Amino acid sequence: MPSVDPGDLAIRNLTYEQFVRGGRAPTSGELAATSGASRNAIRARWQRLHDAHAIVLDASSGEIRMASPFSAVATPYRVRASGRWWYANCAWDAFGICAALDSDGRIETTCADCGDQLRCKVSDGRPGDDDLVFHCLIPAAAWWDDIVFT
Amino acid sequence: MNLFRSEEHVTRWLDGRRPGATLDVTTLNDLAHGWWGDRLHADWQPHTRQQNQAILINLGLTDDFWRLP
Repeated sequence: MPSVDPGDLAIRNLTYEQFVRGGRAPTSGELAATSGASRNAIRARWQRLHDAHAIVLDASSGEIRMASPFSAVATPYRVRASGRWWYANCAWDAFGICAALDSDGRIETTCADCGDQLRCKVSDGRPGDDDLVFHCLIPAAAWWDDIVFT
Repeated sequence: MNLFRSEEHVTRWLDGRRPGATLDVTTLNDLAHGWWGDRLHADWQPHTRQQNQAILINLGLTDDFWRLP
């Protein structure tokens, strides 16, 4: 991952702080209002953070798509943690939300094969359902070729 | 990167495609802690490739599938 300059890092940290406090991704306008920077300046810092794989921007809107492990949009991976519902980008990120928040939680999704509801509690940092399995189709070398698909 | 009820469901879902890697959820959870656990820390810095590769290696994910670019 390329290095991130201190100004970009500060905006990255503010983005995550607002995401967690508000339970959703802040818009560039909201972050501009909070930080005192212009919206264009926020967009430019976000673009550099996107290029550094520190966040993922929506290709059409330029707004936050992923502040991993959190997703800015609805996904099949819902996580109850720290008193809120969150969306994760994938199964890995669903457990990552509990890890990042240092919180017990409950992951709800469906089996990608049969569509049955799957639930997994996380308590004291450990998953409660050892029978479930995770499959990663894309090799690590290609994850960032299309991170939304990955 | 999906969850499945069992390895049988993974095989059926693949439907003949080349498989990737399958992990139990305990390993996945450990991976999530290593990868994302510091994401909200005030002193967070981007992980280097070497740091991320070490997280994978420490969980026994050492084959080419898990080799970062």
